[in-house]
Amino acid sequence: MNWKNVLHLIRIDTKSGRFLRGKRLTRFRESRIFIYVLYGGSLALGLVVGALAGILYVSASATDPNFAALADQAMLSLFLGLPTMVLIYSLILTMMQQIQRSGTKFSAQAPYWLPITWGEHTLASILTNLIGFPLVSILFITPAIILFSTFTGQVVAAAGTALAICAAAFMASAVTEVFRVLQVRFIGAIYKSTGRAAIWVRFIGSLLLFLVFYTVYFYVVSGTGGIYLLQTIASAQSAIWFIPFVWLGMTLYSFLNGLVLQGIAFVALSLGFIAALFYLATSLNRRYGLYEPPAITVSRGVYAPKTGLLGRLGFSTTEGALIRKDLKAFTRRRELMFVFIIPIVVILAPVMQGLGQMGRPVPAEASLILVAVVFLFPSAAMATMLGTFMIGEEGMTIWRIYSSPISPKSLVKSKYFFVVIFSLAVLAVTGTVGFIAFHPSLRATFVALLESILLVFALGSISLSNGTKGADFTEVPRPRMIRTRWSFINLIVCFLVATAILVPFVPYLLSSFVPGLAQPFIDPYVAAILSSIIATVITLIFYRISVKNAEELLKKAET
Amino acid sequence: MMATDYSSAVEIKKIVKRYGEIRAVDNVDLSIRPGEIFGLLGPNGSGKSTTMKMLLGLVQPDSGALNVLGIDVQKDPVAVKRLVGYVPESPRLYEFLTGIEYLDFIGDVYGMQTEAKKARINEYLKALELEGREGDMISSYSEGMKQKVALISAFMHKPKLLILDEPLSGLDPRSARIVKDFLHELKAQGVTTMMSTHVLEIAQALCDRIGIMYHGKLLALGTMDELREMAKLPDSALEDIFLKLTGTGDIRPVVEELLK
Repeated sequence: MNWKNVLHLIRIDTKSGRFLRGKRLTRFRESRIFIYVLYGGSLALGLVVGALAGILYVSASATDPNFAALADQAMLSLFLGLPTMVLIYSLILTMMQQIQRSGTKFSAQAPYWLPITWGEHTLASILTNLIGFPLVSILFITPAIILFSTFTGQVVAAAGTALAICAAAFMASAVTEVFRVLQVRFIGAIYKSTGRAAIWVRFIGSLLLFLVFYTVYFYVVSGTGGIYLLQTIASAQSAIWFIPFVWLGMTLYSFLNGLVLQGIAFVALSLGFIAALFYLATSLNRRYGLYEPPAITVSRGVYAPKTGLLGRLGFSTTEGALIRKDLKAFTRRRELMFVFIIPIVVILAPVMQGLGQMGRPVPAEASLILVAVVFLFPSAAMATMLGTFMIGEEGMTIWRIYSSPISPKSLVKSKYFFVVIFSLAVLAVTGTVGFIAFHPSLRATFVALLESILLVFALGSISLSNGTKGADFTEVPRPRMIRTRWSFINLIVCFLVATAILVPFVPYLLSSFVPGLAQPFIDPYVAAILSSIIATVITLIFYRISVKNAEELLKKAET
Repeated sequence: MMATDYSSAVEIKKIVKRYGEIRAVDNVDLSIRPGEIFGLLGPNGSGKSTTMKMLLGLVQPDSGALNVLGIDVQKDPVAVKRLVGYVPESPRLYEFLTGIEYLDFIGDVYGMQTEAKKARINEYLKALELEGREGDMISSYSEGMKQKVALISAFMHKPKLLILDEPLSGLDPRSARIVKDFLHELKAQGVTTMMSTHVLEIAQALCDRIGIMYHGKLLALGTMDELREMAKLPDSALEDIFLKLTGTGDIRPVVEELLK
């Protein structure tokens, strides 16, 4: 193992973050100090927290003799649980980092033609995975516990825990590396075997991934699931000693309880397991590190032009072509599939919350809010977001739009239609779920549906105008689609406009929530008419702004 | 706005394009006759691609006039685009589409009739040996295959003017030969071609007239014989003429320095 090569590879990988940070790519300058501030800061914060906790411990022990014994016991429990806890969150964080990286466009392929072994590549990759929050947390925890232990007299235990934490993080990252390589190979195999259906496999697979990830996430954050899980693992390590992932915790447990031989055995087992994981990751990298997923064959030699429906709806062939192209983009481009997270989250959040409230009646006001959230929010959020993506998602292929005979009006018409149709499809799904889950009255359903549709039309036109004005065609390392400033402007404008559209319903809502106000002075149907007028005016104004912005965009093709 | 008869397929009058302090295109005058194959040569960064982009309205000149096929580019760029087939320097295609989906999209964008579109796509796929791969996602194509798709998308709507930036880059010899012969046939049908290339042998063999750009200026313009005369290099190949006219001909000392 050439350690210099490993260091070089890690250094290169950390520099890949420049694309994310740096705006100016010519005459690029970077201060090395700021790169390490985060890590230095974590270390310093860990020391400060350890020292403060130690001082508190000393002063509290002086006044209450029982406190020291209780604190010592608590610290020992923490030491025992920490390696497994670090392992779990490092696993989650490194996996999340991999998911994030899969959405980026820059090539992370190993430069295999250089005199670097696969072992060095693998080690560098494992260590690089830890850069970021896992490393920050280690740099915070280890000095904190070691410094605190100098006050409690548990320095050896703390030092052992610090080592175990580092090993646990490495173990987690090695597992992620194994999964990363397997995933590339596995997905490749799926594509090859499914042929034409591959794009649907990827699409549905991505949706399932989001669904599972967010189900776990909401389970953890909406209840005591996560904490309970960690406590169980920390306290029940002895019962599941045969699982290699708890061997680091078992090592500490053995030594702290005076079981030296058992401790030595677990040290050997832990080291062996880490070595085995590293060997497995290296072998997989050697075998599949340069694996190229096979081509996805969608059709074979059958030319089937599709012009029917959109033509009948009044779209020209150019506009129809753009709409069909975008439909394919959102079901085939992995980074665009993230738009589906919003409806999934919006449906899952109340459902998981509902599971927590199982058996308890939901108050009428709360039910009204949940209906509003499930009906109004997903489609409105989708329109707000999609509009900002529609131009920027073209990325570097925007030259095709620039060089083709596409007028600004056609461009806006096709993009706007897509935003509206897509958002209304989301409304149809979330509305159905909302109706089944919360049984709203017919009047509430009608009003919620109408308002959702109005919001989709209005917010879609606003976000498209902002998305056109602030389009960002940067693709590397990840598609940006809209400049940050314009994204914020869009959010603020959409929020204000959505409020303006819903304002006529305020009297009705006040009468529902404020006990003193018995009757609303504006009927919901009258409010709906007022709201429709406001939404229509806003939609028309921003649609025209979108066309104007598209004219500018096509003129300024050089940017 | 569209003129049906025009004496020049491309008419460039005193165009200037600045990027900050750099004059990418500096006071260029150029006229290309209908049915001509015109080669625009020059070292990297000499202003060729910028000039070509300005002809399509993709880059706005700071001053000067551009007229393509009788249409003022700045006034009606969409009308120009409708009549032009364009292949950029490094064409980025929609990689999530299959080859045939991409070409279908292009046909629709140019308003082609379904039957004509189908027939032409099939002809080009066969000619450039993409048959059997048209149903694969473009992301799985090699660079040469992507270049073929970009070329087909420029040819398929039967444009009156072709603007091709490095059209043969990445092509296999057979496909390159097909494209060259095809450009000659199009010339006979009155189609004008403006192309840039760094392969000077291609320019010499293919182009009726050649323009050499350097530091944004049009240094030389004419047929091969006229260029030889200008460079005072009778019977020389285009490479020698190019190196002499651009003042980059003193290669030997550079090579000797590298060998030290």
